[in-house]
Amino acid sequence: MAAQTDFAGLTRPRGQLDLATALQPYRGQLDERLAAHLLRRAGFGGSPDDVSRYAALSVNDAVESLVRFPSTGSITPPEEIYDVGAPQPMSAMDGRPPMKRAKIVRREARQALLALQLWWLNRMLSSQAPLQEKMTLYFHGHFTSHYTLRFPQITYNQNALFRRYALGNLRELTRQVSNDPAMLIYLNGAQNVAAHPNENYARELMELFTLGVDHYTEDDVRESARAWTGWRVDRRSAQATFDPQLHDNGAKTFLGQTGNFTGDDIVNIIFAQPACARFFAASLLSWFVYNNPESELVDGVAALLRKHDFELAPVVSAILRSNVFYSTRAYRALVKSPVEFTVGSYKVLGLSQVDEIALPALHQMGQELFNPPNVAGWPGGQNWLTSGTMIARQNFLTQLLNSQTLTQSSWLEKLPVQTRVASQTLVTTILQGDAAPAALYELDGYLSGAGSAALAALSTENYGQRISGAAYLAMAMPAYQLN
Amino acid sequence: MKRLNFLLGTVSGLTVVANGEHIFARALAETPLPGLPGSQNRCLVLINLFGGNDGLNCVVPHGDPQYYQLRPSLAVAPNDVLAIDPHVGLNPGMKSFKAMYDKGAVAIVQGVGYPNPDHSHFRSTEIWQTAAPDRYEHTGWLGRYFDEAGLPAQNLFNGVAVSQVLPEALFSNRTDIPAIPAVGQYSMIVDRDAQTRKAFTQGAQGQQMPFDSPYLAHVMEIEDHAQRSSEELPQLIAGYKTQASYPSTALGRSLALAAQIVGSNLGTKVIYVQHGSFDTHVSQKATQDLLLAQFSDAIAAFYQDLSAHGNDRRVLTLTFSEFGRRIEENGSRGTDHGEASPLFMIGGGVKGGLYGSLPNLAQTSMGNVRYTIDFRSVYATVLERWLGRPSAGVLSGTFEKIPVLG
Repeated sequence: MAAQTDFAGLTRPRGQLDLATALQPYRGQLDERLAAHLLRRAGFGGSPDDVSRYAALSVNDAVESLVRFPSTGSITPPEEIYDVGAPQPMSAMDGRPPMKRAKIVRREARQALLALQLWWLNRMLSSQAPLQEKMTLYFHGHFTSHYTLRFPQITYNQNALFRRYALGNLRELTRQVSNDPAMLIYLNGAQNVAAHPNENYARELMELFTLGVDHYTEDDVRESARAWTGWRVDRRSAQATFDPQLHDNGAKTFLGQTGNFTGDDIVNIIFAQPACARFFAASLLSWFVYNNPESELVDGVAALLRKHDFELAPVVSAILRSNVFYSTRAYRALVKSPVEFTVGSYKVLGLSQVDEIALPALHQMGQELFNPPNVAGWPGGQNWLTSGTMIARQNFLTQLLNSQTLTQSSWLEKLPVQTRVASQTLVTTILQGDAAPAALYELDGYLSGAGSAALAALSTENYGQRISGAAYLAMAMPAYQLN
Repeated sequence: MKRLNFLLGTVSGLTVVANGEHIFARALAETPLPGLPGSQNRCLVLINLFGGNDGLNCVVPHGDPQYYQLRPSLAVAPNDVLAIDPHVGLNPGMKSFKAMYDKGAVAIVQGVGYPNPDHSHFRSTEIWQTAAPDRYEHTGWLGRYFDEAGLPAQNLFNGVAVSQVLPEALFSNRTDIPAIPAVGQYSMIVDRDAQTRKAFTQGAQGQQMPFDSPYLAHVMEIEDHAQRSSEELPQLIAGYKTQASYPSTALGRSLALAAQIVGSNLGTKVIYVQHGSFDTHVSQKATQDLLLAQFSDAIAAFYQDLSAHGNDRRVLTLTFSEFGRRIEENGSRGTDHGEASPLFMIGGGVKGGLYGSLPNLAQTSMGNVRYTIDFRSVYATVLERWLGRPSAGVLSGTFEKIPVLG
């Protein structure tokens, strides 16, 4: 398959990077192509209106408008979240056999999970701060936790935490997520007590979340686990609590330092390691720019992280303004994740709501929100694409592009009747022109119903069918799979 | 289907592959597959008994009084056990499977597990699928086998998962394995425009794109696979005549498809099937007995069908489950997550019988059956003695082989 496959099937673009200027600000102008690129990476793509609006901005103003978020204070979860686990439904079930009760609770919890997935997908589509949702998704894949079916509010609370810290301080977020109930359950922190330390979280904190292998020893894992002892999850309030009785108060020696450390101390010591800044630098570059970034590029972003004391806003802002971000190396250099593919499709069509067909589709494409494959998150890159997931992607588009969608789209129905204009508009709006010339010719043929009469006008009877069919064909092209 | 009619305007002729004879099948007949002599035409069928199959009520230690003490409501009564010997026997639902055992077509490997057992469904399933109890792997053990074995890259069916989504066991870096829940479900919803779409991708293939991407070639390759494999599969297997009456269960349908794929000679080396859920925390008996009976009947039909086509010795079936269950029953006439459990190896000329030691119900791992055989020993046996490939790279270590396959 791809020639330059590297670790985990992640592939770096061909050619040489100009290291001296890579992270310096891009001095060129945005056009529709680069504006769409920026919106895909910093969010989930743009509607045609978004793209033309951003194309008219300077790089500075465009990035500035993306990294400034409103407070998350007014965001409320879907109402299903609070229905589960509360005392009322249980008492309403009094008199039912326990098996039946358990079934009802499970069903409600399942519905709450689906409602939460749909709620988040709609935030990705409609939020005025798409980068906030993009970073929330980044952290969901980074500080991975799996949903706990019985406590949907715990899953929601972790999601809200990631959103609150979307471009906040990485060190502080790492502290907070370490004591987050979903994490305490998922990586067994809630079972980590002085008498029987559980090392699961202590290990993943370093291996997968902050440092990477080879930057710590097994002793560091054991000592760190002792520092994290004493955290529990109150299953009624869904809150984390700290029980000093269960905490190990002895001295610990961790990464060369000794003291009666708590979890907070452990995080501080980790973030003082040079490997930590490099770890996040590589991870952010793979998320925003391209996979398997050059070591010098990683060093550059790591220096920025340290300079800004792990505040993400200035660092992400610098990445989104940089020469390398707007270079041909970065353009279309990532595979769209199923979530990017799905939300981006609603977005580019100018639709106002993600509907329920997205949920089974995402399952079949291999990315269910709150259900990552393991603590290492989704491997991404070419791993997203197999025959099966490709069929799921194409079938989702088919389902999305029915005639009802057409009337809801902000622009499809208004496409001009002249074939050549219609096909040009489709290829420009959906693919930013990233199509082979022969494909454009085929699209003309399809629209005119003949295959050769490129300038034919569409007949009024089949106009809707042909336009949605042509939109499908444009979205089925290779460039559409790439971000 | 009404909403999908929008593309009806251009009904185009599908390229119909001539019946039966398949280009890859032909190619495969001429070039033997890599591996040991005799391994060319073999296929491994892996059945995931998901949810955690209770080993003690499946392969019942009816000679052990402790079994009856610890399971006052759940134990299989001595008279109901399909006794193999004075110590163990099979669940009463498994009559047809017992008949296969009696004919020597079934090996039962007891006490299979791994060190530091994880009691989470998610993690333990992942451990069995990736064969990596001590680290996180993004490829599965069979995915690594595909990458390592050098199977013909042009074959779109080197492996098949009979499932909605690809199981982790088949995740690989270089081999595209289709997940086919049923033949009718593995298709592009609207393929009336196959011709147009093909022109798109093929047109793109030859042309200079106005952009470069490290993933462009991969995207086009997978699009091509998806298109061709979904189009060709129904025709490739259409010539097969099923020679058994399968039970009308999900597993029966899955195994009927597996036999059809094997019998159609697509060069398929691995077929993945699932059955469950065995997660029997509450009122276990009804659920597990039914699932085991379904398993037993479907397997019997599967091998009857395979035999009728002379394929039974070409197909080794291996079962696995993420864990067994707690020895002592819980307060809800069920059992909680446990550790080691038995697995089955069926057909393919296995030397039938019992392997490994009886579960020790006195010396336990905190109330669970301790493992005595590492599951990677089973995988190593299958890789080396069945698929004819070295196992150390795939399994990141060397594991003792079980003398079940000669």
